[in-house]
Amino acid sequence: MTVEQTDAPQIQHVRLTTTVNGNVVTVHVPPRLTLADLLRDELRLTGTHLGCEHGVCGACTVLVDGDSVRACLMFAVQVEGRQVSTIEGLEACATTARLKEAFTRHHGLQCGFCTPGMLVVATELIDGSDPRVPLTETCVREALSGNACRCTGYQGIVRAVLDAADPSPEGAP
Amino acid sequence: MSGRGRYLADLAAGALSVVFVRSAVPHALINTIDTSAAVGMPGVVGVYTGADLGLVNDHIAELHVPHPAFVDATAFRMAEQRLAIMPTDRVHYVGQPLVALIAVDRYTAEDAMEAVDITYSPLAPCLDADAALREDATPIHRHLRDNEAASIHIEFGGLTPDVTADLTVEGTYRIGRHGAVPLEGRGVLARVDARRVSVWTSTQIPHMVRRGICEATGWATEEVRVAVPDVGGGFGTKANVYAEEIVIAALARRTGRDLVWVEDRQEHLVSAAQGRDQTHRTRLAVDGEGQIVHWADDFTVDIGAGGLWVAGVVANTAIHALGPYRVPRARITGRAAFTNKTITAQYRGAGRPEACFALERSLDDAARRLGLSGAEIRRRNLLTAEDLPYPRPLPYRDGVDVVFDGGDYAGCLEAALELLPVEEIEALQDDHPDLQVGHGVGCYLEATGRGPYETGRVRLMSTGQFEVSSGAASAGQAHETAFAQVAADALRVDLARVRVRQADTDLVEHGIGTFASRSAVLAGSAIRKAADEVRTLATARAAELLGAPVHAVELNDGIFRSHIGEPGSGGVGWDDVARAAAPGGAHEELGPLDVTEVFRPQTVTWTMGAHAAVVGVHRRTGAVRVLAYAVAHEGGVEINPQVVEGQVIGGVAQGIGGTLMEEFRYSPQGQPQSTTFADYLLPSTCDVPEVRVRHLGVDTPGNPLGVRGAGESGTIAVAAAVAAAVEHALGDRVQVTETPISPALLRTALRQEQRA
Repeated sequence: MTVEQTDAPQIQHVRLTTTVNGNVVTVHVPPRLTLADLLRDELRLTGTHLGCEHGVCGACTVLVDGDSVRACLMFAVQVEGRQVSTIEGLEACATTARLKEAFTRHHGLQCGFCTPGMLVVATELIDGSDPRVPLTETCVREALSGNACRCTGYQGIVRAVLDAADPSPEGAP
Repeated sequence: MSGRGRYLADLAAGALSVVFVRSAVPHALINTIDTSAAVGMPGVVGVYTGADLGLVNDHIAELHVPHPAFVDATAFRMAEQRLAIMPTDRVHYVGQPLVALIAVDRYTAEDAMEAVDITYSPLAPCLDADAALREDATPIHRHLRDNEAASIHIEFGGLTPDVTADLTVEGTYRIGRHGAVPLEGRGVLARVDARRVSVWTSTQIPHMVRRGICEATGWATEEVRVAVPDVGGGFGTKANVYAEEIVIAALARRTGRDLVWVEDRQEHLVSAAQGRDQTHRTRLAVDGEGQIVHWADDFTVDIGAGGLWVAGVVANTAIHALGPYRVPRARITGRAAFTNKTITAQYRGAGRPEACFALERSLDDAARRLGLSGAEIRRRNLLTAEDLPYPRPLPYRDGVDVVFDGGDYAGCLEAALELLPVEEIEALQDDHPDLQVGHGVGCYLEATGRGPYETGRVRLMSTGQFEVSSGAASAGQAHETAFAQVAADALRVDLARVRVRQADTDLVEHGIGTFASRSAVLAGSAIRKAADEVRTLATARAAELLGAPVHAVELNDGIFRSHIGEPGSGGVGWDDVARAAAPGGAHEELGPLDVTEVFRPQTVTWTMGAHAAVVGVHRRTGAVRVLAYAVAHEGGVEINPQVVEGQVIGGVAQGIGGTLMEEFRYSPQGQPQSTTFADYLLPSTCDVPEVRVRHLGVDTPGNPLGVRGAGESGTIAVAAAVAAAVEHALGDRVQVTETPISPALLRTALRQEQRA
């Protein structure tokens, strides 16, 4: 039953140059490799989680040229010449840092599997909103409606995002 | 949060990928399994059927057997389950693993899967528990005479002629098939060395997995280590021992290669253990005041092709059918059936939500006929401080007589109504003119913290820090926080000095796991005992270092001081005790401080709670939205209130999912229809309201921490409360008897209302 051949099959590889978390990366990848698998398996950025691999759960959300995308639904070759940011790359982002503190304070995570995707979408929401107009709960709920969480019932997540979005020094009450 | 969590799939680097070819049909004889084309494909390392595994035992044994006293008192019976780990002769559900294929990566493996050819002779599938239990039904498992997986019979009080009821209501209530569906699927990684196989698996019960692997392979316990990485949610489906865990371990040793299997979502939805799927036929007799005279519930459970926890589900259902009420007479009977659906385990609540739905719906039905509100009929039946503790004439699963040990269940309902009064519907109705708004309540009782035992270990490390471990694996229950707090309190040190390790059979030799709202109660108590013992031993050592008698030494804020001698003289810290225990130290010969304790509760503790819901039913579509929600519960001491509240709120969200959206559907031919997240709907941010929680602390003497379990409290009464609120919204023009609640049923009622 066992064959002593463990070479990868000969599939044509494509040269890909992209920027991930500010670093230019050149790799040779099979054309069918998903962006998620490029990030996780080739670049070892395992903070991008795979919850469904069909674009519904949002756990694999990353930013491509600043817009949130499902890394499971995109081929790696589609990010040629583009800027990809993962949760690891948002380490330096002030908004994400505020969100992380707020998630801890409001118990916005339990198992943590959905958290990177939530943080990416929430960062995009806050950074893309007019800072003079306060975010409402409804608006936050709608923006996060494409990210599933099975543990928290969302209450802590929504509160954390509202808190992190509040520009006043004390944060939301 | 920074992407530094390490879930199973994140550990996979360097391992070969395993995929499973699964049964495509629900019930059939296997004619041939032809793997020859796949074996020769580039990148394929090996292709294995069940016949190639070399197992000494081809099935997994049941995971729970009730105490003989319980078996006697409830006429409990259970069939032997022998569902094959990878069958070669017969399949019993779509999704059953048949072939394991190893390749250099998952893409290659999935390509090669297509080349595995399996031919079947189809058999008629059995997809309904009632049909499966009919006398003329063909047994789906060849070694059994019928399809009965388990049965139970509880009866007390008796219906003597002098007992008269003014009203009897009968009903049939169905709870749909839904399940845990954590955001992270299952996954197993096995690495081999010359001595043994190390298995990382996304599980809640590593010690039971180790036992399952050993029983199937014949290996000694020392030959297998099972460790748990970060787990992305479990909720019961990962408190199971799976064929995949055994196959990956066996093949890793056979091939000498590191292997990983990471379940994809489609696979999860057809092959990970599911839950619920019960039908209850009820008969509730009350007097003119609405007080329960007699309660009868006959239920069936569809456990699919197998369920290693069938005893737990059936017993839970039967016992919790008694509810938090004065029930003088009852007859509870139940049967579990084998069908050709996916296997089942204990999904959050495991029988409690189903039993709660049947009793609560029956109470609402009686209330309506008596012209009482849902709250009022419950007030008249709920146990009060005067009734409690309330003994029941039967033993629990552990053989100890049941005694509900609460504070004031009626008071708990009032607390829920205070949090969310019925009057609140007026404002919500004004806010939502497109909806018809209603209010409902539901009460539940939950046995938590089941034994037999759990292990806790506390070690003082050479750095003066502490390491805590237990058999209870964390899948997002914040054990890191709660267990560290328990240990830090006993050791009188800052939380930052305590590190909680993930469960690992190398760290604690014996353990049970995380399920049935038991971790805080059992593992928490075991850790408390171990930490207390470490403190006692350390006090003696510190006394020696201080040159003081033991009785004069006290530990405060992490410093041991003697109250004899110079006041203000120096103390001895945990660092000093640790240094003394290290080689070259004063206590070298005593060795490190490392204590493992077992906590064995006498029996379960009971958590009671009340839920209140306000829902809106869309006037045109019949779609239901939960607008406001409240839970009041009689928990015990809260180790960490935020963790408990998080468990309750998250439980409510899962309850809403099961009540309104989630269902594993099957075609009439037995093909699963809910195989993506577009078909199996998880509640989103827009489906779950803010949940108001009130904790009514009622201490329990049953464990040293005084805690009661809370992991399932949020889920149990959701279907009951939401169903009642829907009926209220529609002016009782509809009777809700099934979950998920069908908008079509509600649309019909709305149209009738508009015509009237």
